[in-house]
Amino acid sequence: MISAIIAKEWTEYRRDGRVVGVLLLLALLVAVGLVTGWSGLSEQQRQAQAAQRDDQATFLKQGEKNPHSAAHFGRMAYKPLPPLSVFDPGASPYLGQVIWLEAHAQDPAMFRPAEDAPDLRRLADLSVAGVLSLLIPLLLFLIGYGTFASERERGTLRQAVSSGSALQKLFTGKLLAVAAIGIGVAVIAITVSAVMAMSAPAGVLWSDILFRSVGLMFGYALYGVAFTALALFVSARTKTATSALLVLLSLWALSVVVLPRIAATASEHLYPTPDSETFWSETYQTIRESRPDRDSAEYKAAERLVLSRALGREVTDEEVAAMELNRSGLSLEVSEVIDANAFGAAYDQLYEAYEQQQEMRRAFSILSPAILLHHVSSGLAGTDTASHRHFAMEAEKQRNVIVRKMNEDMMLNGAGESFAYLADEDFWESIPDFRYQPVSLSYALRSVLWDFLLLALWAAVALWLAWRAARSQKII
Amino acid sequence: MLRTENLTKKFGAKLALDELNLQVNAEDIVCLLGANGAGKTTTINLFLGFLDPTSGAAFVNGRNVADNVEAARADLAYVPEQVSLYPVLTGLENLVYFNRLAGKDTPDQQVLRTYFDRVGLDQDAADTKVESYSKGMRQKVGLAIALAKGAKALLLDEPLSGLDPKAANEFCTLLRTLADNGTAVLMATHDLFRAKEVGDRIGIMKAGRLLDDLKASEINHSQLESIYLDHMHDGGSAAGEAA
Repeated sequence: MISAIIAKEWTEYRRDGRVVGVLLLLALLVAVGLVTGWSGLSEQQRQAQAAQRDDQATFLKQGEKNPHSAAHFGRMAYKPLPPLSVFDPGASPYLGQVIWLEAHAQDPAMFRPAEDAPDLRRLADLSVAGVLSLLIPLLLFLIGYGTFASERERGTLRQAVSSGSALQKLFTGKLLAVAAIGIGVAVIAITVSAVMAMSAPAGVLWSDILFRSVGLMFGYALYGVAFTALALFVSARTKTATSALLVLLSLWALSVVVLPRIAATASEHLYPTPDSETFWSETYQTIRESRPDRDSAEYKAAERLVLSRALGREVTDEEVAAMELNRSGLSLEVSEVIDANAFGAAYDQLYEAYEQQQEMRRAFSILSPAILLHHVSSGLAGTDTASHRHFAMEAEKQRNVIVRKMNEDMMLNGAGESFAYLADEDFWESIPDFRYQPVSLSYALRSVLWDFLLLALWAAVALWLAWRAARSQKII
Repeated sequence: MLRTENLTKKFGAKLALDELNLQVNAEDIVCLLGANGAGKTTTINLFLGFLDPTSGAAFVNGRNVADNVEAARADLAYVPEQVSLYPVLTGLENLVYFNRLAGKDTPDQQVLRTYFDRVGLDQDAADTKVESYSKGMRQKVGLAIALAKGAKALLLDEPLSGLDPKAANEFCTLLRTLADNGTAVLMATHDLFRAKEVGDRIGIMKAGRLLDDLKASEINHSQLESIYLDHMHDGGSAAGEAA
């Protein structure tokens, strides 16, 4: 019986030009999103690979040079755009893609396409995920608003029920028929995105993309079920199909368009992220205040640590004082060790603010599953702030490796020369390149687990409400 | 097959059905006559479980509708005054769909097509979208749906409305055949002539009460009309008792 209901619903959709028109429009927008995403991904990967080669070549051809000067010259850490950014670019355009690894400072990522783009570009910035999260609810509402209300108005609900169909079966059939349309669109779009991601210019791990894509499909399926259930709930509760449509369009505007923006603004207001100037002035203020005197026990402990690491054995204060060293090199590395805590604390605070903002947005998700889907989608695509933080932390580790190696070379090999010491031209080859391994699937799943569970809860509650409303609705 | 016990329905303060006691046996055709608001449609809706009784009970095949409405509906077929169909589906697609809702998982389309013949619809109509149907054609499809279900009892709410005299006559002949084959038929109608022609018993309702339960074979057309008009023009119960 349920298959008959689904078949009947689909026949009606197929013969209803409006549904076909909306589906075609959605397909067109998804196609635009795919083309935009693909060109963005391939162009970024091409540019990043070229820039990486240039950066490496320039670094290796420095010739004889003071290591600290080279440390200031620095290296660039390029964040490979995740392959599934073709589907959901997430926060990537806003968080930057390159980190300058230089002496003394833990820099933030640079080159944010969203900053460089003119304001009007954002209006046309159609990602596949953006199109789906925005328009799947609208599609489902447009298909589903009349499921019960129109049938009640036409009298076919009375005819169907008197024929022997239980309302529960009608509900199940209609739910599956409507939800399958939205979920089907999402599954096709994700599948095409995954195939594109697998054929990205940079090497990709197919299994990783496959599992992430399956996760995305589950996320969008829950989203589709939640909005289908809402459509059926309203359709069962309202007297006329027109009322149901008006209520659902208002719900769509509120939960998909307005609330995510209110949530973002409110979370930024309650947990503000500092502007660049404030961030740096406060960080350097902390650094200045936290630097110990050179005679202090803390400073001497840092000196022992630096030298022990360089020599691979424990050293005493007396040895530190007596050894023939480039004292400038030692001093530079000690300041790196001491300042690292202040930088770490400043960035921890910054990312803490991001996490609090995310928690705040999650609280708003009581009213809008769209917020949860954004988290799930960008998290699984590897384009959320958690993934960026992982990249920034790995880049900082690399900066520490580079700067330490430079300072140790100066410290151990340039005794008495201070900044006049020059490293050999071969020395630069001993500095390892940055090879970033993006966040693993398990890391991504952990970061979106709560959002996934809340999305499932949303779908379950919406289903329960719709089920109750459908069972208890008036037939005449 | 169909029975009510003191069946009462109130809509707020308005009494729509007042302690109705009615029985329709297999092979019987009972016609309910009455003006709009007399309680005919309410009675049918209570049998179908579309309304909950305020008091009393409706029974289908011995089962209280309130206890198991789905089992009751399984034994019923229903043709309303305005048969509602899916306009973008063809007549046959509508018939197949409602047949499957009735629990027939693999309906034979050739067999289902014969119901179009039985209700007087040509086969071209079966393959035409219902949106182009006249009201009479929709009524016939509604009857075809009811016939195809093969229910034990048939509830008809003004089924002759919109049918031309020939079609109405064929319809009544079909009802007689169904009843003779064991189906219980309860038909609400305004048509005194058809009620007398097809009915075994005729109930006259007014203001939610069954004023008369007449044997059709014991009265002629003019007597029926007279009794009916008497009930409609005065308090009703005295006239009913006299009849």
